Amino acid sequence: MINIQDIRDTARDMLAKGEARMVIGYRRGTRGMLAEPAFITDPAQADDLVWDPTCFNNLSLYLVHDKKFLAHMRENPKGPVAVVAKGCDARSIVVLLQEHYFKREDVYILGVSCEGAGVVDERKLAPLLNGERPSAAAFDGDDFVFTTAAGEKRLAAREVMADRCLECRAPYPKEHNLVFGEDKTGRQLEAPFAALERFEAQDAGQRWDAWSQHFDRCMRCFACRSVCPMCYCDECVVDSITFPVTAGTTAEEKATRIKWIERSATRSENITYLMTRAMHLAGRCTDCGECERACPVNVPIRMLNNKMEREAREKFGFEPGASIGGPSLVATFLDSDPGQFIR
Amino acid sequence: MEKILDKKQIDGWVAALTEHPQGVGRGCNAAEAATTTLWEVHTPALDEGIWTYQPANGTARLDHPNTKQSPKEFAFPQREIFFSFEQIKGEAPRLTQIVPKEQRHAVFGVRPCDGRGVPRMDKVFTDHIEDKYYTSRRKNIAYVGLACNKPPSPNCFCLSVGGSPVSSDGLDVQMTDLGDRYFVKAITETGKAMMAAGGKLFADPSAADQKLLKKTHDDAVAYPQRKINDPDGAPAKLRANFDSPLWQEMAQACIGCGICTFLCPTCHCFDINDEVHNKAPLSGQRVRTWDNCQFPDFTMHSSGHNPREGTGARLRQRVNHKFQYFHENFGMHQCTGCGRCVSECPVGIDIVTVVNKVTEHVG
Amino acid sequence: MSDNIYLPQLARVAYIKEEVVGERSIKTFRVEAVDGKLFDHECGQCAMLSIFGRGESMISIASSPLIKEYKQFSIMRVGKVSSAFHELEVGDVIGIRGPYGNNFPVDDWRGKNLVFIGGGCGLAPIWPVITTAVAQRNDFKNITVFYGGRSPRDIMYRTELEKLRGSADVHLSVDKAEEGWDAFCGFVPANVMDKAPNPGNAIAITCGPPIMIKFVIQNLREIGFKDEQIYTTIENKMKCGLGKCGRCNVGKDYVCVKGPVYSWAELKDLPAEY
Repeated sequence: MINIQDIRDTARDMLAKGEARMVIGYRRGTRGMLAEPAFITDPAQADDLVWDPTCFNNLSLYLVHDKKFLAHMRENPKGPVAVVAKGCDARSIVVLLQEHYFKREDVYILGVSCEGAGVVDERKLAPLLNGERPSAAAFDGDDFVFTTAAGEKRLAAREVMADRCLECRAPYPKEHNLVFGEDKTGRQLEAPFAALERFEAQDAGQRWDAWSQHFDRCMRCFACRSVCPMCYCDECVVDSITFPVTAGTTAEEKATRIKWIERSATRSENITYLMTRAMHLAGRCTDCGECERACPVNVPIRMLNNKMEREAREKFGFEPGASIGGPSLVATFLDSDPGQFIR
Repeated sequence: MEKILDKKQIDGWVAALTEHPQGVGRGCNAAEAATTTLWEVHTPALDEGIWTYQPANGTARLDHPNTKQSPKEFAFPQREIFFSFEQIKGEAPRLTQIVPKEQRHAVFGVRPCDGRGVPRMDKVFTDHIEDKYYTSRRKNIAYVGLACNKPPSPNCFCLSVGGSPVSSDGLDVQMTDLGDRYFVKAITETGKAMMAAGGKLFADPSAADQKLLKKTHDDAVAYPQRKINDPDGAPAKLRANFDSPLWQEMAQACIGCGICTFLCPTCHCFDINDEVHNKAPLSGQRVRTWDNCQFPDFTMHSSGHNPREGTGARLRQRVNHKFQYFHENFGMHQCTGCGRCVSECPVGIDIVTVVNKVTEHVG
Repeated sequence: MSDNIYLPQLARVAYIKEEVVGERSIKTFRVEAVDGKLFDHECGQCAMLSIFGRGESMISIASSPLIKEYKQFSIMRVGKVSSAFHELEVGDVIGIRGPYGNNFPVDDWRGKNLVFIGGGCGLAPIWPVITTAVAQRNDFKNITVFYGGRSPRDIMYRTELEKLRGSADVHLSVDKAEEGWDAFCGFVPANVMDKAPNPGNAIAITCGPPIMIKFVIQNLREIGFKDEQIYTTIENKMKCGLGKCGRCNVGKDYVCVKGPVYSWAELKDLPAEY
């Protein structure tokens, strides 16, 4: 059981001693029970930090933002950023380190173990509260406790947990500078890829119908990409809005840039966007599930990434974000790899 | 016109609007149907866990909180084709206008905040010069509203922006849920005609109905909501705090996605692009799509210079547009307090908090 | 659907001239209506030009309103649509809609001294005022034109500028000294400071790169020009040109409707979001 005060004390100390220039964690938001990202530089604000089942965000995203900001300002980092990271979030950081996005010494990982629980899925929670609006959520053993106007409501964590957490194989942030909570790996409540397998039990026609509807619903607000720490590319191949233009970009480069998809949120363009994104995340996605949570129209984006993850696992025994020195799915070749094409 | 409609009769009324006025019903032949002005009715339905407007199918239930997307798409669809072009190099192109279909749409279950979005969109698309793609759709749409007996979202704040859970602004018909029946009130001439089409399905309200309506409305207005503390002072305070460091601080978590603006009932920014279907001979379409002031390239010049470089400047644009610029131009806040941008933001950016912080900031 | 504000009129390219070659090339185009006539415009207004299949771009009209037969545009190659313009040949057909935006209050300036200060491609938006004033020479007092480019090869409207001499005082400059260039060497604001035009009964009109405009205004104020005697134009990314697409606003106003022409007295109070 994590005592939030320990995280707060650590954050306060690090900031006071100058061991970190910023602590990125979670704090209480102003719109109900949900936590929101907190960027703390003043030790006095360390007490704002919270840890509860609504700490969804994969905060490693903000390490990417920080790096981009510094690059834009042409500055070097003045000391590390400390970041609160769940198991999946810490594995994202490992992938970023594998890809040399930033240096290990630039980040101080304040690991938090999910201890066999995880974050709540608001979509599962809503129908169980009979229209009551929760104002707070807390861990309590195997239960989540929600505070509503009608009093406290205790629900078994597995009933309201996000699928990503139910299936999580690694809720403990192995890569860390400091860790809070116990390693309870192996307590996962559902088999890995359970949601994917439930879907795949349908026949091809049913699957196509379902995905056609999902692709049609997509508005291309790009929340899935924007919330993803792995989608850090300055230039995104699948849309026309992410294209870095500097004073040095020539007219030729701008004029001849290939436009792979149109801005219209039509099925063909949405498929190209979402499928290409899934390909580019293969071996890199650590299943934090933020893309799916952020999606305002409930496209099960995680399923696409999960499918890629399972392929990589079955073919290559690959686990994304397992260790900094570990192999990369698409850039490492081994004699034991299946298939003859590379030999 | 004020009437009572039994809840069990809602589908009957929808059918009356969609059927042939001479009573031929759904069996009327295609030629007849083409010459009459029948309504295509849309009602909120739960699809994949989200409330959306769907073509009415005889199972209308107006028990939705609010729809995920606002009904702005009926008059301002996410994608509008302006014209198609065909051109042989060196010759004059052939341009063919794509004109929105003449079809009347009745949108049921529109919440008061979204109703108030309608006159705001009307201003944008008719002020200075008329946008006929918008107006030709708009003139064929009727909004049948549903008052909010209690706030459908914990982030509702319509009362803070000059609205009300029982506002009929922008609506053609206002319905109020009185338990087993609706109190139905025509707001416009179109609304009267629609109610007339329902004929005997409607009954006259009794004194008790009127009394219950008043109590329901009074209770609705008294129900606690989120609050913007000084909405009237917002335009001046936002103007004064344009350069405040608060903006960057409040936008630090912003990921620059389009949720807030795409779901907003009054965000109207758009992009125009040519979609090419064939290179030679050239053919394609010029298409308008929704755009979003939170995308980094929204204001980026061809040179790479970007007047709104950071997330702080972009959050300020969204908030100032709603609470300062629109107010300076049209004398009203553009925001109608639906709370979608607050509830749906993946990182907790909350326009109520933002406006309160800026207006309470002494700088 | 009549009055479709997004449907362009067709115009044929009648004349193309290469003004500047190289990395920052500029070409001048004159276009005529394919059918009927094109719209009338005022000095400083813009038009939305399209190349079908490539897109639209807002370009300031560089010809005088007195010329009815054609509209002139001078376009620097910077991006997708401007590159497509540079590939056009005489006889090609493009789309045009407009005119958009406000205009220079030329009628209010009759009887005054006019000082024009342009840099790079920024001569095009003020060119209609210069040519209108020269065409109606007796309506105006002294006309002075400052214009500079990076090098002699970056000077646009070279022949036309030479023809102005006699009607106007023309002060050309290049940023760096070069063999064969005997006019001023240095940046445009320095040339203005050097010649120090008299602010009495005068209006200064400047257009060019943002950094140039900034120092020109600073220097003009030092010479004694008041804020309301200084005019400039601003630009922002635009899509509709009609105050609807929502991206070119500076404060509450859309540049495509309330701009592009501002006096410094107006502009200095606006947020610098351009």
